[in-house]
Amino acid sequence: MNDDDLTRLLQQHASRHPADERLRAAVRTQITLQAAAQEKPAEKPTWRERFARLLRIHPALAGAGGLALGLVLTMFVVPRLNNDVALPEELVAAHVRALQVGPLYEVASSDRHQVKPWFQGRLDYAPTVLDEPLREQGFALLGGRVQAVQNRPTAVLAYQVRLHKIDLYIWPAERGAAPEKLQRRGFNLVRWSDGAMQYWAVSDVDGAELERFAAAWRTAAAH
Amino acid sequence: MTDARRFEATVLPLLDAAHNLARWLLREPAAAEDAVQEAALRAFRYFASLRANEDAKPWFLGIVRNACFTALARERGRADVTLLDEDAWDELEARSPSPVPDPLTALGTRREQTLVNAALRALSPPMREVIVLRELEGLDYRDIAQVAGIPIGTVMSRLSRARAQLKRQLQLAGLP
Repeated sequence: MNDDDLTRLLQQHASRHPADERLRAAVRTQITLQAAAQEKPAEKPTWRERFARLLRIHPALAGAGGLALGLVLTMFVVPRLNNDVALPEELVAAHVRALQVGPLYEVASSDRHQVKPWFQGRLDYAPTVLDEPLREQGFALLGGRVQAVQNRPTAVLAYQVRLHKIDLYIWPAERGAAPEKLQRRGFNLVRWSDGAMQYWAVSDVDGAELERFAAAWRTAAAH
Repeated sequence: MTDARRFEATVLPLLDAAHNLARWLLREPAAAEDAVQEAALRAFRYFASLRANEDAKPWFLGIVRNACFTALARERGRADVTLLDEDAWDELEARSPSPVPDPLTALGTRREQTLVNAALRALSPPMREVIVLRELEGLDYRDIAQVAGIPIGTVMSRLSRARAQLKRQLQLAGLP
């Protein structure tokens, strides 16, 4: 046997192991997450900057009477608007952080009777936890965690559909609202409210799938 | 094009070669997938270190092989094993020998494949590495030297010793 014979034997008979679709998808997801994490989050303007901006937009407010009005607007109206703008970015950042450094869940269970009691004493509200009706639709409950959102401890439920993770952030809300779809840095978000609680679902799964998740949740919660 | 897009266009086509190398270096399929994923993340972080006209294949396969050898050393509980020290590998291999093919299975229709795979598995990882890169991935000596982080002379001597061992084993098994 010479070197050429050996080469022929190896090339004809040695097993090859190409990467399968699952591995390719996993690599792409990791790169997307890593790229998102490397982007710098937008810095929140201080109240001074907001106030300065307000004066630029409304020169009339620079008057003595306007100053008081401006102050009122700055303190009560503008921060709220700004918070609304910053919230989706904060949720995406929180979702990415949980996927990358964890924990994705602090209580690991596909049983809502395990997950719901875990939140007792950790939050000043009791989030709804749904398992079976969502599993039937392909969304498996992985567990729950508490994470800071807008500086408040917030309930998060982690679900999985195929290879994708979905985080559902839940906190008390005053008014009901129909689902609304948003996109930030390649991630999809769907928000809705049932009048008692506000819900934000965040995931890299496609928008239609995430809306299906929201619809399944709303249907199941209404029963 | 963003960095992530450019990276995907460069590295995703190399995943077949990366996974093949990882599967030949690590026995466990799950360990091989982990090593490829870890290597892809590392490569993305250091993507800037790939020069404009540099061939991405040896660059990426070098990162993959380092992830594999780190996993191998960890797996054997010997994080101190020098990655290039063949004697240490031989000693470790002796403690956890490769599975010997069942002669009856080897007589079946997949005889050649079984024997060739077993002969490759019987090589120490540093020798298996250069053979897989040369014969299955078709890399030239210079690229193999870059991937494995060894001089070209070492690539050649290691290849020749690996070939001698493969020939010996395959001839003993009765292959032409």
